[in-house]
Amino acid sequence: MLMIKVPNIARIAFAALLYCLLSGCANTLLVEGDFPDPLIEPIPISVGVHFSDDFESFQYTEESNDRDKWIIVLGDIQQQLFEIIFQGMFSSLHSIDSSPPWESTRERDFLKDIDIVLIPQVNEFQYTLPSETKINVYEVWIQYNIKAYTATGDLLADWILTAYGKTPDGFMQSSEGALNQAIVVALRDAGANLALNFKQVPELRAWLAGREPAIVKKGTFDSEPSDPNATN
Amino acid sequence: MNKSDYIRLTSQVLAWGFCALLLSLCGCTNVTVDHYSTAALERNDSDAVVVLGRRYASNYDTEIDLISCVGESLAEGAADITVIPESEFVDRLYPWFEPRTAPLHVTGLHKLIDQAPIAKIMDEYKIRHIIWIDGNTETTHSSGSIGCSIGVGGAGCFGFGSWDRESNYEATIWDYRDRSLIAKVSTEAAGTSYMPAVIVPVPLIARVQNNACKGMADQLDTFFLSASAE
Repeated sequence: MLMIKVPNIARIAFAALLYCLLSGCANTLLVEGDFPDPLIEPIPISVGVHFSDDFESFQYTEESNDRDKWIIVLGDIQQQLFEIIFQGMFSSLHSIDSSPPWESTRERDFLKDIDIVLIPQVNEFQYTLPSETKINVYEVWIQYNIKAYTATGDLLADWILTAYGKTPDGFMQSSEGALNQAIVVALRDAGANLALNFKQVPELRAWLAGREPAIVKKGTFDSEPSDPNATN
Repeated sequence: MNKSDYIRLTSQVLAWGFCALLLSLCGCTNVTVDHYSTAALERNDSDAVVVLGRRYASNYDTEIDLISCVGESLAEGAADITVIPESEFVDRLYPWFEPRTAPLHVTGLHKLIDQAPIAKIMDEYKIRHIIWIDGNTETTHSSGSIGCSIGVGGAGCFGFGSWDRESNYEATIWDYRDRSLIAKVSTEAAGTSYMPAVIVPVPLIARVQNNACKGMADQLDTFFLSASAE
């Protein structure tokens, strides 16, 4: 009897292919992109930022049986965005290893020159594909929760930051590419929202006004949206 | 002429006739361009223009490649306009020209121009006019079917498909220096693409978006050229 010897690697590849065909492979998307520095007047305060492990390694896994399997990894890129935005927003930025309460002497010493500490978290991530909405765009929504603490660990402000991005379904463009682009647009939107509306958060506005009245009143950058009722 | 020559000649005539038929069907696009002005357009030779896409609508996005196409066509036009690339402009002025934050009306320019860092970059680019383009190209109808099969003897397709595409864009020209609306140019284009398949599918694409781009860019170029001549 004639026996054909099949190399091990070919067997493994065939088994993997068969598994994918039978089970349905998950699309893994490692989101990539670049963000520009924000063109805004830095607020003259010293800020600490803490990115939790959940934030740094955030990935969305599609659990629904009615949708294609997607694993969307955006921990790295969202951290990159927040670092760029925070660096542009404040005169001084420091990375903080831990969240409050800060009880050790080392932590307290480190925080003594810091005015506030910001901690962002992802609340929700959603996306839709053209095949689901019947319109030729990929859409992404991200909801962040940002908490601001004083250097002593007291909660100063807690607000929601929403972001939305979309990109058209292009000819010969892959789903991965289009979804990546929509997420980058959403992250840019998050950055714009954060940079322009930070001083509009009531608790922060009051804190900034009480701490240094000139910061808010003198501000050369006004983040209020343009008047929608004005005529062209 | 023997029989084989006759058959060869007949098949060549048929082949050329088929090609001519396909070419006559290819790329039929109707483009309608219209514009109105509300103020005289003024410009110096050193003034630059930026072409930006509107992306705030919920059900479509003005395509990035359409904006690039209009910008490049305008830069190559007779009016000799310096066009700043959209992505470069939007990145340098981040976050002021994002879909959520960009001024929707010309009065919104007041808030931007009053801010020194923004005004500095605008002056650096020598921006005089901002052209906003809003609209998209979409497939409105499709029909027909093509079937393909593969076997031991080979593979092939047979069938016929067609689809209609429509473009609808409006360009709004703002004078950044005077903070005023100068003109609007609207462009509509429609065309039908075909794909006959006899063994091999032959796509006969009507370049609807590209023709809309060229139509709009030509009109804008004429508009800027008339300002230069005055």
